[in-house]
Amino acid sequence: MASTGYRVSADIGGTFTDVVFQNSENGDMRALKVLSTPQNPALAVLEGVKKGLGAGEHIDFFVHGTTVGLNSVLTRRGAKVALLTTENFRDVYTIQGNDRGEIFSIRWQKPEPLVTVEDTFTVRERIAADGTIETPIVLEELDRLVEAVKIRGYEAIAICFLFGFRNPAHELAAEAYLRERLPEIDIALSHQVSPEWREFDRISTTAMDAFTAPVVRRYLATLVDEMRDTLPEGGRVYVMESNGGAMTATAASNTPLQTLLSGPVGGTIGGRSLAEQTGRKNLICVDMGGTSFDASLIIDGLPSISNETSLEGLPVQMSVVDIHVIGAGGGSIAWEEADALRVGPQSAGSVPGPACYGRGGTEPTVSDANLVLGRLDSSNFSGGEMTLDTEAARGVVAKLGDKFGLKPEAFAQGIIDIINAKMADAIRTITVQRGIDPRDFALLAYGGAGPSQAAALARQLDIEEVIVPIHPGAFSAVGMLQTDMRHDFKMTYYGDWDHVDVDEVTAAFEALEAQGLAHLKQEGMKDNDISFERSVDLRYEGQEYVLTVPAGTGVVDPAAVRALFNAAYQKQYGHSSTTAGAEVANLRVAALGRLKRPGLPSPVDRAAREARSRKVYFDGAEHDTAVVRREAYALGDTVDGPAIIEEETATTLVPPGWRAEVITGGHLSMKPSNAE
Amino acid sequence: MSKTTSDPITTEVVRNFVMSCAQDMNAALWRSAYSPVIYEGRDSAVAILDAEGTMLGQSTGVPLFVGAIDACVHLVIEKYGDDIGPGDIFLMNDSYLQGTHLNDFTAVGPLFHDGKLVGFGAARAHWSDVGAMDPGLPMGSSSIFQEGWRLGPTRVVQNYEELPDWMDLIQRNTRMPSAILGDFRAQVSAIRTGERRLGQLLDRIGQDTYRASCLNIFEQSRALDRAAIGELKDGTWSREGYLDNDGQSDDPIKVALTLTIDGENMIIDLEGSSPPVAGSVNCGAVQTQSLLRLAYKTMISPDRAITGGSFSTMSVKIPDDCMFNAREPYACAWYFTGLGLLADLMIACLSEAMPEHATAAHYGDSMVATFFEVDPRKKQWLSVEATAGGWGGSNGADGESALINLVNGGFRNMPAEVYETKFPVRIEEFSIRPDSGGAGRWRGGNGVVRSYRMLDDAGGALWFERSKTPAWGLAGGKPAKGPVNTLRLPDGSEENPLKMRARVLPKGTLLITRTGGGGGYGDPMARPFDEIQRDLDRGWLSPEVAAEDYGVVIRDGRVDTEASTPRTSL
Repeated sequence: MASTGYRVSADIGGTFTDVVFQNSENGDMRALKVLSTPQNPALAVLEGVKKGLGAGEHIDFFVHGTTVGLNSVLTRRGAKVALLTTENFRDVYTIQGNDRGEIFSIRWQKPEPLVTVEDTFTVRERIAADGTIETPIVLEELDRLVEAVKIRGYEAIAICFLFGFRNPAHELAAEAYLRERLPEIDIALSHQVSPEWREFDRISTTAMDAFTAPVVRRYLATLVDEMRDTLPEGGRVYVMESNGGAMTATAASNTPLQTLLSGPVGGTIGGRSLAEQTGRKNLICVDMGGTSFDASLIIDGLPSISNETSLEGLPVQMSVVDIHVIGAGGGSIAWEEADALRVGPQSAGSVPGPACYGRGGTEPTVSDANLVLGRLDSSNFSGGEMTLDTEAARGVVAKLGDKFGLKPEAFAQGIIDIINAKMADAIRTITVQRGIDPRDFALLAYGGAGPSQAAALARQLDIEEVIVPIHPGAFSAVGMLQTDMRHDFKMTYYGDWDHVDVDEVTAAFEALEAQGLAHLKQEGMKDNDISFERSVDLRYEGQEYVLTVPAGTGVVDPAAVRALFNAAYQKQYGHSSTTAGAEVANLRVAALGRLKRPGLPSPVDRAAREARSRKVYFDGAEHDTAVVRREAYALGDTVDGPAIIEEETATTLVPPGWRAEVITGGHLSMKPSNAE
Repeated sequence: MSKTTSDPITTEVVRNFVMSCAQDMNAALWRSAYSPVIYEGRDSAVAILDAEGTMLGQSTGVPLFVGAIDACVHLVIEKYGDDIGPGDIFLMNDSYLQGTHLNDFTAVGPLFHDGKLVGFGAARAHWSDVGAMDPGLPMGSSSIFQEGWRLGPTRVVQNYEELPDWMDLIQRNTRMPSAILGDFRAQVSAIRTGERRLGQLLDRIGQDTYRASCLNIFEQSRALDRAAIGELKDGTWSREGYLDNDGQSDDPIKVALTLTIDGENMIIDLEGSSPPVAGSVNCGAVQTQSLLRLAYKTMISPDRAITGGSFSTMSVKIPDDCMFNAREPYACAWYFTGLGLLADLMIACLSEAMPEHATAAHYGDSMVATFFEVDPRKKQWLSVEATAGGWGGSNGADGESALINLVNGGFRNMPAEVYETKFPVRIEEFSIRPDSGGAGRWRGGNGVVRSYRMLDDAGGALWFERSKTPAWGLAGGKPAKGPVNTLRLPDGSEENPLKMRARVLPKGTLLITRTGGGGGYGDPMARPFDEIQRDLDRGWLSPEVAAEDYGVVIRDGRVDTEASTPRTSL
């Protein structure tokens, strides 16, 4: 009998590595967790794969998210980089934006750049704003850098000259001169890493690429090597990108910076696929774990993407899934200040963790409060991997509650109410404050702690429907299996959009598309699976910030794009103008390669139901609450609140007055019962 | 009267609410404003207040606006009393009432719920042009009547309907009528956002519980402030310094501040500061108080939200005849010029009362360079840039270099690549200015060098300050260098202007601006050799100044630790 093929994904987290297996033919999924192995993340992946694949089963496709690049920046363990830039602009990376990150602090310090001034070299050269050479480069001045590399042992050189994106001649000349003399060294050129204006941001992006590249390359080489026996002949390892797409490990080795924020994007991409499958086009995706709460949006079926981000306060010019993170999770600590109660942002983390973990935590956390309220099962936490100490939780909650004259249950409810209010504010930040009405959205809740808070959170925002997806505790890995290949290309193109040279701008888009086509073909994509999305950064004349709007296909139609811009501007800012001039700043192309994948089947077979119940607190009163297993419910089945739905990776709370229903794909939809 | 109480949980939920409500209001303002100075420069502030006009929550883009907006609400209550109805909006900009320049318009609106007045919303925004003698902000004004039109608290919207006569007046007194009307409506929409969100909360928890929560919040802020001031050393300290001039003459202007800590009370007295001056650096008392609140906040409670209970332990005395208590007809366009110095003086006094937080002075003012097109036949352009400088060293850290001044906050420099693409000017240098920070165990931060080459004839103007009282050191630390600019004209002549009224700069002119540094903290002889070496290696300290200020001997670029003055301990 032929072996059964699986599509496999791995989400490598700080504590756990989630591995999800999807049957390549019928789409069935299963998930498991193994402890992460930070020294060599591949070990946990291999262990998970071994644990999850039976005899007669093999891997067809493997994709994973990695935090290796991210961690190298967070821990400042990357390559030793020398920066080369234009004379008289040596300090740009240190000056940064010169804004104060905390406007009420007089002792605020800028983020430490990845390359210090001692490691920054300059050369006499200057390119003017129109790309003409103002001062030809004096290559002999680079000998000082060549000498320094030998003495100081730099592993990589980042080159960023003013207007290098406009005319790369000097960057290329410097590269050639240095390569000839330093054949061993990695060189990153700003016009290749990020052909976009704003010198500080581009220097920062190029330096981060040079800094993380060797670490990411080494990791990928190890992983590919170790996966060799597990993958089929010619099988490829795919890596998630910050923009929500995927690329092959080989491509990732050439553009390692793209993997920088690949960890958390899986959930949002899972949201996009869920939107397509269930017809819910607008989703607020929330991932709540132990220490952080991540919120992102699916609008009209597509993830909200941002064209720049920052890491440790340092800007990165790169397309990323727009994820808003706040410090709120199961580990958030409740504390007292001047007789007032506060919750978070400090977290107990996983060590010592909440008091209920029994690892020495002495401060009450959100998880402790949930346990006191009966919302977590002390004997069946994290799929039975861990037992919770109810007495310890009750002790720390009671102790602080006493200070406020509140009974443990009332106080525990208070902790939950406050953390919910904070999470609701985080969602308001990415919706209401951008002119988006959250009531037009369904709330997609995942992560270990998400499904237990979701209904209360939805109520705060007047959201009518909560979706708890399949495998909520491993949903990021589930989402990775729903991705397509994606590469982003861009160029700075400045001018008056209303009078733009249509032929020139069309040719520019086509050139970007040709780059994308070459990349995707090299990764084995076929022509009819390849498509392109063009967009353009526009703004009204005199403005600084831009809106990115789609730019159609074929010959560019500036008027049509302008109309889209006016509409987008109207939506975001409440007004727009048809008379003000529009300026173009950048052209962008996303090259997409469609990966084949099966759909998600809806569960039709039920596991046996057992009648269990326990006392759970809701809104200040104890309720007899049914405790059920999710596997016991098939498409169309409903569960009326109050109820607790347990499964391997998470616990879903259905409050009194709510009803949960299994919908297409096996996801749960929860609504207030009277909403029907 | 109801005696409803609020439990600590509801109180915390309400506290979260007022902060996030203020953010929503400001986002609504930024989202719908027409002028980049508001939606990009974030020159605005909003607040939600209770029915008596006591501050509950606020959001500000400019730190300087932190403590002035409640005064505007009090003025409205004082003038209109019971004659305040649902949907009304009151507008004002009078410098002598609200403290700043006439470009700042504050809108105040009552918040009603179930027919009852439950609070106020307020939104202040910088209007790009209010009909002054020059477009935007005039540089040479010597009377308020040259700075635009003036409005006391005035009802301009009634029962959600704009009063057309007032809308007409607003638009007739600006060079940019449609943008200004758009900005005004954005302010109104911020207040409407506040009313809507407050209504949702009150539907849930009720007016009485809300009121009780507010009182708890005020009491909590008061308690936190009382405890913070109570911990400070008692005593009285005085400091003084000088502004370079008022932009009219070259006479220095004295600024003096005396601070007393007496138990839980802080008293600030500006006795000794200059009487009002002819140029436009006078400031209304309300904004002076706001600046002192900002300085207080930076030292006492940088992370804490401000409510009506904050600052209750602080009292301020400003003499009647004082530049910081401006009256008609004194000019106020550049009112913030003296405030940077005043903040540094207050921080210096507070440094005596809380030595562990002591911080030397910063470079002090916005250091504005303006360039524009002079030929009316060409496409018009205008660039107004504030310039970064150095901040003071403190006990435990060097001062930061190249950072924007205190009264500004989130202002970012424009990249050379953007600047040169938009304007016919080339940025020839942008770097850290060596030796500009004061020496010390913890040295002051350095200022910057930013050079502009005119690629065509252009207009230029400058407003640079603090050359006569550059940032001073603390605890034995040395003072910083002040700003020095060089204007090199194509005919070879050279000048050193700091404040320069608008004039034509011919093609080829080079303007090199150099901003001041921050003061040093502690004896320079206590600075370890390796830290001196690092600054030498970075080129931020010259060998000459290292020898003179730090007593080190340098051979071949290295500090000779044997030959140098031995290090002392702090």
